[in-house]
Amino acid sequence: MDNKPTILIIDDEEVVLDSCTMILVGGNYNVMTAQDGMTGLKLVDELQPDLVYIDLKMPGIPGTEVLEKITEKNPTIVAIVITGYATVTSAVEAMKKGAYDFLPKPFTPDEFRLITKRGLERRRLILETISLRKDKEMLRENFAAIVSHELKSPLGAIQQNLFILSDELSNRLTESEKVKFEHMKSRIDDLIKLINSWLRVYSVDMSKIKDSFTAIPVHDVISNAIEDIQPQAVRKDIQLVTNVSEKLNPIEGDKTSLEEALVNIIGNAIKYSYPSSKVFVNAVENNGNIEIDVIDTGVGIAEEELPNVLSDFYRGGSAQSVEGSHGIGLTVSRKIIEAHNGTICVKSQLSHGTTFTIRLPSMKKKV
Amino acid sequence: MAEPKKLLIIDDDPDFVDAIKSILDGAGYSVDVAYNPKTGLQALQNHVYDLLLLDIMMGRGAEGIMIARKLRKDTKLREMPVLIITGIREQMAFLFPGEPVHPRFVAVDEVVEKPVEPKLLLEKVSTLIDMAEARKAKLT
Repeated sequence: MDNKPTILIIDDEEVVLDSCTMILVGGNYNVMTAQDGMTGLKLVDELQPDLVYIDLKMPGIPGTEVLEKITEKNPTIVAIVITGYATVTSAVEAMKKGAYDFLPKPFTPDEFRLITKRGLERRRLILETISLRKDKEMLRENFAAIVSHELKSPLGAIQQNLFILSDELSNRLTESEKVKFEHMKSRIDDLIKLINSWLRVYSVDMSKIKDSFTAIPVHDVISNAIEDIQPQAVRKDIQLVTNVSEKLNPIEGDKTSLEEALVNIIGNAIKYSYPSSKVFVNAVENNGNIEIDVIDTGVGIAEEELPNVLSDFYRGGSAQSVEGSHGIGLTVSRKIIEAHNGTICVKSQLSHGTTFTIRLPSMKKKV
Repeated sequence: MAEPKKLLIIDDDPDFVDAIKSILDGAGYSVDVAYNPKTGLQALQNHVYDLLLLDIMMGRGAEGIMIARKLRKDTKLREMPVLIITGIREQMAFLFPGEPVHPRFVAVDEVVEKPVEPKLLLEKVSTLIDMAEARKAKLT
């Protein structure tokens, strides 16, 4: 098949068909014609044209019905109606039924050429959008497989060898050499975590974690998360202050994921805190929800930037100069929390600090 | 002194296997290695192992899962503990359309994520072997 666009003109007046065909000669199109709706629809099936002109006023099946049938058959075909009686109402009616544009009779060859060009451009864009959407979906599906195998495996192997090397050499290494090993391990660990986050955001159907939900004490989740993130806090001389009631009802969820969500949020708070300050993690129960606040007194977030913070791929801009943040952690946290039927919101004031509030439904006490 | 415990690693990443093997060698285990599912299964048929360390993503997909499933159907091999070492986390295992690779689809004993801290690895290995022996002792 050639790549010439196919144009079908359906009009009962032979003179219109002939002149239109003449106008398009030399325009590198395949032009086909039909003198009534029935023949036109048959040709649509056979040719799968890119663009169809439909005369609204024809004997036999009315033009509007032909239009409806075509959009029903294949909504990607661009339909333009030709209206003999150039009334706005009939044109509007046709547009409502899926026509892309309308061409009032009489028209000049230039008008016809122009509208044809525009119609075909429209068709090209529709097809391109569909194929891009397909590509995107493919990419999403394959991303996990590619990333996990092609990127993570080598990193895992490097890290595993570093583990064993530093163990085996531990008696012979000087303190400063050991520190270098630790640096390597921690940077590779960061990379592995980053890849995991990407996978989480783009490829993992988060709702699937529901299959492994169990009852989890809030206290455990918070203390494990704090333990995990403590080294980062220590490096910046930040004190993590927790205030968690012992009597909270458990939440139903996936422990590892929830800890990851909290680690990201607390890590974010540490990152945007001033050195030697405090980050507070409070948890209370309120109206059947467990509310966890993560509060910092750091640089804060400008009001206009707040809505972006929890969306995909945000990273604090202008005001802050901070060490590498990949900005994707909060998105991962949001997705995890939402998979737990929870919500997360953020309040902030520039130079005063930020508060993230997580709400998760608590489990009813067993009577 | 008692015979060293015999372990088998099935994993297609030689660099990773090297590192794991030297951790286990260092702890006094006798370790065999198979770099693909086929030789792995052969080794399992020909020798008796105290524990299998199994990778999930090998070859064309989740071939590790296929091995784990075969083992569970084998009356003799069923008793051998299996430690899954995988680069993909549990949730990630859902990603491969049409392939039921979730580790919980097969009754495996433990799953650890690559890379694994030497200490954690040795802990898991010895716990699993101890548990299997306790099970055996109960039966006899």
